[in-house]
Amino acid sequence: MKKRILAAVLATASILGAVSGCNDTSAVSSGSGDETSKAEGSGDATSDSEESKDKVNPADEGKVLNIWAWNEEFKGFFEKYYTVPEGVTVNWVINPSDGGVYQQKLDEAILAQADAAADEKIDMFLAEADYIKKYTNTEATLDVSTIGVEKLDTQYEYTVQAASDDAGKVKGVSFQCCPSALIYRKSIAKDVLGVDDPASVQEALSDWTKFEEVAAKAKEKGYLMTGSNVATFRVFSNNVTSAWVEDGKLNIDPAIDQWTEQSKKFYDNGYTTLAGIWEDGNTKEMFKDGKAMCYFGPSWYYNFSMTNAQDPEKGSAGDWAITTGPQAHFWGGTWLLAATGTDNPTLVADIMNAFIADEEVLTKLVEKEGQFVNNSAINQKYAEDPNYGNKTILDGQNDFALYVDLAKNIKFEHKTGYDQLLSEKYPEYMKTYFDGSKSKDEALADFKQYVKDTYPEIVVE
Amino acid sequence: MKKRKSISYAKWGVVFVLPFFIVFAICQLYPLLSTFYYSFFEYRRVQLTTVGPNFIGFDNYIELFTPDLTGNIGILKYFGNTMLMWFLGAVPQFIFALILAVIFTSERMKIKGTGFFKTVIYMPNLIMASAFGMLFYTIFSLGGPVNQIIQANGGEAIYFFNQEVSVKAIIAFINFLMWYGNTTILLMAGIMGIDQSLFEAASIDGAKSTQVFFRITIPLLMPIMLYVFVTALIGGLQMYDVPQIITSGTGAPSNTSMTMIMYLNTLIAKSRNFGLGGAVSVLIFIITAILSFVVFKSMVPSKPKKAKGGK
Repeated sequence: MKKRILAAVLATASILGAVSGCNDTSAVSSGSGDETSKAEGSGDATSDSEESKDKVNPADEGKVLNIWAWNEEFKGFFEKYYTVPEGVTVNWVINPSDGGVYQQKLDEAILAQADAAADEKIDMFLAEADYIKKYTNTEATLDVSTIGVEKLDTQYEYTVQAASDDAGKVKGVSFQCCPSALIYRKSIAKDVLGVDDPASVQEALSDWTKFEEVAAKAKEKGYLMTGSNVATFRVFSNNVTSAWVEDGKLNIDPAIDQWTEQSKKFYDNGYTTLAGIWEDGNTKEMFKDGKAMCYFGPSWYYNFSMTNAQDPEKGSAGDWAITTGPQAHFWGGTWLLAATGTDNPTLVADIMNAFIADEEVLTKLVEKEGQFVNNSAINQKYAEDPNYGNKTILDGQNDFALYVDLAKNIKFEHKTGYDQLLSEKYPEYMKTYFDGSKSKDEALADFKQYVKDTYPEIVVE
Repeated sequence: MKKRKSISYAKWGVVFVLPFFIVFAICQLYPLLSTFYYSFFEYRRVQLTTVGPNFIGFDNYIELFTPDLTGNIGILKYFGNTMLMWFLGAVPQFIFALILAVIFTSERMKIKGTGFFKTVIYMPNLIMASAFGMLFYTIFSLGGPVNQIIQANGGEAIYFFNQEVSVKAIIAFINFLMWYGNTTILLMAGIMGIDQSLFEAASIDGAKSTQVFFRITIPLLMPIMLYVFVTALIGGLQMYDVPQIITSGTGAPSNTSMTMIMYLNTLIAKSRNFGLGGAVSVLIFIITAILSFVVFKSMVPSKPKKAKGGK
């Protein structure tokens, strides 16, 4: 008899074990089945958070703050300069943005938001200029004025525009302002142009024709104009007169085409390489023995992408300066969006307010991290401060003086929710044209097919 | 008192296989059938909203076989890519494995420490394919050691990952490196299953080792060879991890190293096009089923006819 009981127990144990193990996996794979209902359900969650509008102590709300991001940048600033109320744990969910991975995972989580347990719900997530529209125009994000984030005059207008939905509701804030400039290597500029001060270099590189002439000179001296042909992509793509998708159709703007022709010419003439912009083929040129003269980037570029230049032994810190370059543009920027259904609305609002208005936090961001913050008053103060300068990379040049000027003209226009992958893949698919293995039309057809495969809803001709 | 007629253990058999069938039904059969089901639907994601499921009959299958903007039929191109990369890796894999298996099992050579060698050649199979992919990606990248050597010797840097030939060759090489050990072990088992007396008889008759190899080993190894070959082919059809890592999922340059499963991944994970993805899965299922049928036929001989009389 004992044996029987034992056998029965063992059998049930093995069944339960197998079934429970299976539950986990099937929960993941079957998630796709009932998304529609989840998306519909997310409406109720809004009312939840609106109820808790009165002033509450953030520590009395949910004990877990879930923040979704695609890299460690904001996490670093957050941990260093923001104090989380006692008793609240911050849970970071970080997925890389390459190939759209971050968006994929975020979309799944947002669609499952309504059914998630309070402590597992996304409270705040980060988004980039390239796809912020996808989230602001939906119910997935909260109107931040309802949770206590007031619009400030010190915020740059484009950052507010970017975070607004079509009805004008503001869904989040940016903690950065990202005017992007030409970052050039002084020693190479001196060798090629004979001068290395920003004003003279700007004069020599003030438009694309001049840029190309200098590239030819740089080539003669054995230098590269840029470390990657994609370096100039953002400059062009930010000066488009139409969006990637117009009336549901894929649209290749003349500026994008101009970039394509420039890339082809630059690569054929040996002015640049076909290394990807984040690849070591590009960034190795920032080392002391590097050959590339120009990079383009906003203030986040120093810490995020110029680590090779900052290398104490092999680096080239101090040998860099910035100037406007051929065309003004902006690049990237990180917006903090409040997720519908958050159980920490007060805390989320407090974080947002801290990163746009808290003088102490912003001062540290400027002084310690060299960030051009989303607060024109603070930026102006540093731009006028004769003692301020970027010492990590720029040898004390006051980059804020330049950024303050550039920031005035940034416009957030011709953007769609599809921009990230289209801007990432277009240069990749055109590589076969640049290296001569395919004609331009063939390479374009490959790109268009990619768009069709990835976004069947976009009409491609 | 009633006397038990006999103890029946039959029900226990059912009880013991039940867990497997329950798990199979929930985790395999149901998803499989739902894949078939959804392949007849328009069911995809547009930004954050879901379209469908709307029944559209065979439209997904028709779309798969319609020439795309590049003038190719995508799915056939990806099938061709998959098979070509598999073939490039499989040929050296089988040649190497066969040679090694013969050497290790040879009675004449009596190699010492075969256990050690077997472990070593099997080792690559234990490393994750993605780790292998990353390793080779680093080695052949623009700033990687191979290009450093080329540049140090005055050459120009080569974009290995922008060229169809080199990308395919690297992927095939990694697959070869990962799987030849496994094939060797299987073939060794096959060779050891051959009656040893045949080899002895051959050597007594004065057969050369090449003759032994071609007249005895190869013919008697054929069933195992076929089995290994077809299972490798099925594995090859599902090639995904190495090209995915090497090309960051793009199948660069311009989809020439895109495999069927990578395409499936693009449809399911990126564009969330479950209907079309289902149709691709069904196609892969059909191809695999046919191949499995071949294995089954070759492994299970048709019923032997009863010998009548004798010679």
